[in-house]
Amino acid sequence: MDTQISYILAIESSCDDTSCAVLKNDRVLSNVVAGQEIHTKYGGVVPELASRAHQSNIVPVVDQALKQAGISKENLTAIAFTRGPGLMGSLLVGSSFAKSLSLALNIPLIDVHHMHGHILAHFINEDQKTPDFPFLGVTISGGHTQIVKVTDYHEMEVIGTTQDDAIGEAFDKSGKVLGLGYPAGPQIDKLAQEGDPKKFPFPVPKAPDLNYSFSGFKTAVLYFIQREVKKDPDFVEKNLKDICASIQYTLIKILFQKVEKAVKQTGIKSVAIGGGVSANSGIRAQLLSYKNKGWNVFIPPFQYTTDNAAMIGISGYFKYLEGNFAGMEVTASPRIEM
Amino acid sequence: MKYKLEEIDRIAREILKRSKSKVILFDAPMGAGKTTLIKSVCRELGVEGEITSPTFSIVNQHSGRENKIYHFDLYRIENTNQLFDIGFEDYLENDAFCLIEWPEISISLLSDYQKVKINILDPETREITFIN
Repeated sequence: MDTQISYILAIESSCDDTSCAVLKNDRVLSNVVAGQEIHTKYGGVVPELASRAHQSNIVPVVDQALKQAGISKENLTAIAFTRGPGLMGSLLVGSSFAKSLSLALNIPLIDVHHMHGHILAHFINEDQKTPDFPFLGVTISGGHTQIVKVTDYHEMEVIGTTQDDAIGEAFDKSGKVLGLGYPAGPQIDKLAQEGDPKKFPFPVPKAPDLNYSFSGFKTAVLYFIQREVKKDPDFVEKNLKDICASIQYTLIKILFQKVEKAVKQTGIKSVAIGGGVSANSGIRAQLLSYKNKGWNVFIPPFQYTTDNAAMIGISGYFKYLEGNFAGMEVTASPRIEM
Repeated sequence: MKYKLEEIDRIAREILKRSKSKVILFDAPMGAGKTTLIKSVCRELGVEGEITSPTFSIVNQHSGRENKIYHFDLYRIENTNQLFDIGFEDYLENDAFCLIEWPEISISLLSDYQKVKINILDPETREITFIN
């Protein structure tokens, strides 16, 4: 099958953004992402639990992805879609659309786990070096903080996860305390560049094994700021860069403490990060520094780190090679295990 | 009612006992422990497995012993239009518990709900009040 050419259309609609991509084997021909702010006038009957923005976005997004790829839908080999986890209404839009399209075109349907997508994004072929199996996938975003042992394209085991907030949420909510707008992560990153990371020590929350906890961190930042502002109302303004640097420094420490532990425990020295928060420059620098310790480290291109359909497409491609297709009875599932 | 973290399960039971609606709004400042309290309410309703913050996902769905539970966090929602976009009112029509953090923006769409206010008394102590 390897010598054949496949064109896979992939749909991702698990949370905020509607996205559609077209892949030619493991290369991306197009990857269109529409945020929910892009609205078209919507009319018609709304099914129960429907996510209206996805409904109004999906047709134009798919249409644009096909156009940009220069492919007509008759050329497609298979349809891949995100089955879960995610927001039920949003997933339903993507899964119903994918099913209908596969039925209409009479081509295979492939269901993909959203978190597999974040990990397999590393295999989108841009002539870069890809991780060898086994490796540790570290997925960090506004909604997730996971360490995953990846044995092959299909076999993955979550060995560590957050028990409360995700790391992206810790960035954003700390930023909110400082009066930065949402999402605050990128602003903290920028301000942190010029600050002293060790000026204000924040506590590292305890979590068992390889798991994470971030909700106590957010509260610690909040109390610290409230206490200091009581003494000096201009405290935040005067120390913003140092506060941001200290927040970022601590979050990186929390993150990598467990990654280091996972490397030690599993003996696997290949680490691949993914998810929106992997855009953070401090996290990237820290990961790269482990090369000195003999780790192999991997960071995907930015456009494939946030939620996008290309990563669903590449995951779909590997399932396609195995002939692992979904039946029409497959349903969207807001909570599914990896 | 004042409580510390180790008493949270008792408070969760109290909330379920006293709430006059399955739609329960948790009104509290950041760091008050909304997610932690709702986690405990979910456990009381029989939810097993991971319960994490829905700030990013906006709503997490859980299955309890008898009911479905929708755990909302409307922190990122800016206006009622966005609420319509996620199909908010459809969740309410179910015979499910809706536990809502940062609920202010949804109040105009709700006809029947119980509001629970959490105040931070000091870093270790919280106080809840039932507001009707």
